[in-house]
Amino acid sequence: MNLEAFLTQTLVGLYTGSFYWLLTLGLTLIFGVTRIVNFAHASFFVLGSYLMYTFYIYTNNFILSLFAATITTGLIGVIFEITLIRRVYKIEEMYQLLLTLGIALTLNESQKLIWGTTPKYINMPELISSGVAIGYTNISYYSIAVISISLILFIIIHIVINKTLWGLKIRAVWRDNIMAQALKINPYLIYTTVFFIGIALAGFGGALMIILHPVGPGVGDHLIIYAFIIVVIASLGNITGAYIISLLIGVISSLATWLAPEIDIVIIYLITVIILLLRPGGLFGER
Amino acid sequence: MSKDSSEKVSRRDFLKLTGAGVIGLAVGSVLGWALKPAELREVTSTVTIPREVTITAPVVRKLPKDTIKIGVLGIRSGLWATYGEFIEQGARMAAEEINARGGVLGAKIELTFRDEQADVVKQARELVDVEKVDFIVGIDSSGNVMKVGGIIDELGKILIVTHAATHRLTEELVYNQGKKLIFRSSVPVYQDGILAAYIAKDLPVKKWVGINGDYEFGRVSWELFTKTLKSFRPDVEFVGEQWPKFGTEDFKPFISALLGTDGEALYTSIWAIELITLQRQMIEMGAYKKFRAVISSLGYSMDVAYALGKDYPTAELGTWVSGRYIWLYPPTDLNKSFVDRFRSKYGKYPAYSSETTYSAIYMIKAAVEQAESLDPDRVIKMLEGMVLMTPAGVRWIRPEDHQAIYEVPYGRIAHKGAEIPLLEDLKAVPAHMYYRSPPFT
Repeated sequence: MNLEAFLTQTLVGLYTGSFYWLLTLGLTLIFGVTRIVNFAHASFFVLGSYLMYTFYIYTNNFILSLFAATITTGLIGVIFEITLIRRVYKIEEMYQLLLTLGIALTLNESQKLIWGTTPKYINMPELISSGVAIGYTNISYYSIAVISISLILFIIIHIVINKTLWGLKIRAVWRDNIMAQALKINPYLIYTTVFFIGIALAGFGGALMIILHPVGPGVGDHLIIYAFIIVVIASLGNITGAYIISLLIGVISSLATWLAPEIDIVIIYLITVIILLLRPGGLFGER
Repeated sequence: MSKDSSEKVSRRDFLKLTGAGVIGLAVGSVLGWALKPAELREVTSTVTIPREVTITAPVVRKLPKDTIKIGVLGIRSGLWATYGEFIEQGARMAAEEINARGGVLGAKIELTFRDEQADVVKQARELVDVEKVDFIVGIDSSGNVMKVGGIIDELGKILIVTHAATHRLTEELVYNQGKKLIFRSSVPVYQDGILAAYIAKDLPVKKWVGINGDYEFGRVSWELFTKTLKSFRPDVEFVGEQWPKFGTEDFKPFISALLGTDGEALYTSIWAIELITLQRQMIEMGAYKKFRAVISSLGYSMDVAYALGKDYPTAELGTWVSGRYIWLYPPTDLNKSFVDRFRSKYGKYPAYSSETTYSAIYMIKAAVEQAESLDPDRVIKMLEGMVLMTPAGVRWIRPEDHQAIYEVPYGRIAHKGAEIPLLEDLKAVPAHMYYRSPPFT
């Protein structure tokens, strides 16, 4: 086996995995706490990209735009949570699916009306052309930044959930909603906050990715499939699992592209099927 | 703008190209003529699309209705929604021009738009049964076109395809199965596969890699490219191929795998937003330092040219791109006037499917005027063998497979400070040389 190619494909796979992680982090967090399977998640990811594009056009400042796009996406998410999603927390899942799917379609079509159908991206030549030559590929500073930011995000979320008082409240609502209410924790406040964070993370992911992943209407329709494969394999709501599986799927598919290009897509689905047959609750499932 | 475009093709080049084109077309016409059944021979005629919308034609009512209804199908939602918009722009512009000049034998053209992504067969049936359209034009997807083609005899209306590129439409459905209601105004996959090989054969590289979509169009374009190039240049080798699926967001693993080969040049028929993503990620991974030439068969589609703009990467031996029509060719007054009018109406250069749809509407006009009827059988007879002056040049509707024969060149991406990258070293090959011909063996 060619070691140089192996290393290169693995590194590229880590980038791909980090991209998946940015997409699935909010999804799995929202499900973990609110039990809502958010079909609109990728549409918020795409909204983050579009907002980033617009803010960048006006401010020409990457960091500022990234921040503004993240917050704005989160706030738009909260509007949807307060006006619509809050009404379906306690009823059948089918209605939740229909509602979030409806939100996804509404977001997609609004994006088309606002930003048109021509794909958009932001060019940062200094970020993508310069980097470290590893093997025969240039690993740009941008790619390295995406991989690092993903890891940092994982650590931060992990600490917030497990080590802070606020995280304790979240875990209380997550585990036992009624007991949490008995302890004077307002679950709706927790839901709204978690929704804000989850959607803002989606917006952050989308905003960060727009440099290498041009955004167009309907991009989310394709991304949501990957996001669901990952959270299902990891078991919905498990954040550590989602991070590990994101990276694994990225690396495995990247290696498969190199070693078995004819069946690289099949491999991922095959792994999903096998895992679900062996562990229906997902690899990191508790039940 | 017209100054820019005329600079791209020098006068001598233009004469050479036009000469080749005219000779090609003449040879093709004569061949077609000889092969045509006797009763069709009288109908061949030349029609020129008017340059300006000023004259009002005398209103002579010869048709049974006051309106000719045309159903327009295109992708209007999702990732490829730009393409439905392109089709719509071309159709609207043609219909408005024709109606402003008094319509078709006094009848106004009325357009009805439908999204082919929302079950194309259902949409086509509704257009015919509910909207009562007389013609259907458009269709972006090769998969969709084969579905509608399959039920065309049931629909009983003429379909002029203006984008979908599978050769099976005209070769299998029209030529082999005799589905005479189907026509196509746009160049099929011959442009992506065969003509690309004409460009590749002159480049001083031997080892090619390919990255193409894992679906019919991607597979066929790579197959035609490799087969044709090998026949010209037995010394070339194909050292790597990758097949990303529809809707791929991250091409990096594919690019990296190709960078690991000893390929010197890259061929792709990836299109639309995926092509923009692919190009962005190729720049990032240093692919343009490795590959000395890049051929991208749909690289001069307007969504791509506008999105990449001044960042459109250029390889050492050229980033060679094409489309199913490119706005700066041919440098005729008719084309320049079309481009100017399109730009003043929509603010952008015309996309290829805008032109192919625009010309399809004019094909309908010319055929109905000659047939003096909306009866599909009579209109088909007029369309078969028709020679039409269009913005994309002279189109000849080959009677055997109902394919419009016209040429579209490839060119190298060049940055000249214009609104979008321009093309230089335009290379055109007479259409009859690179289009496959009946009996398509």
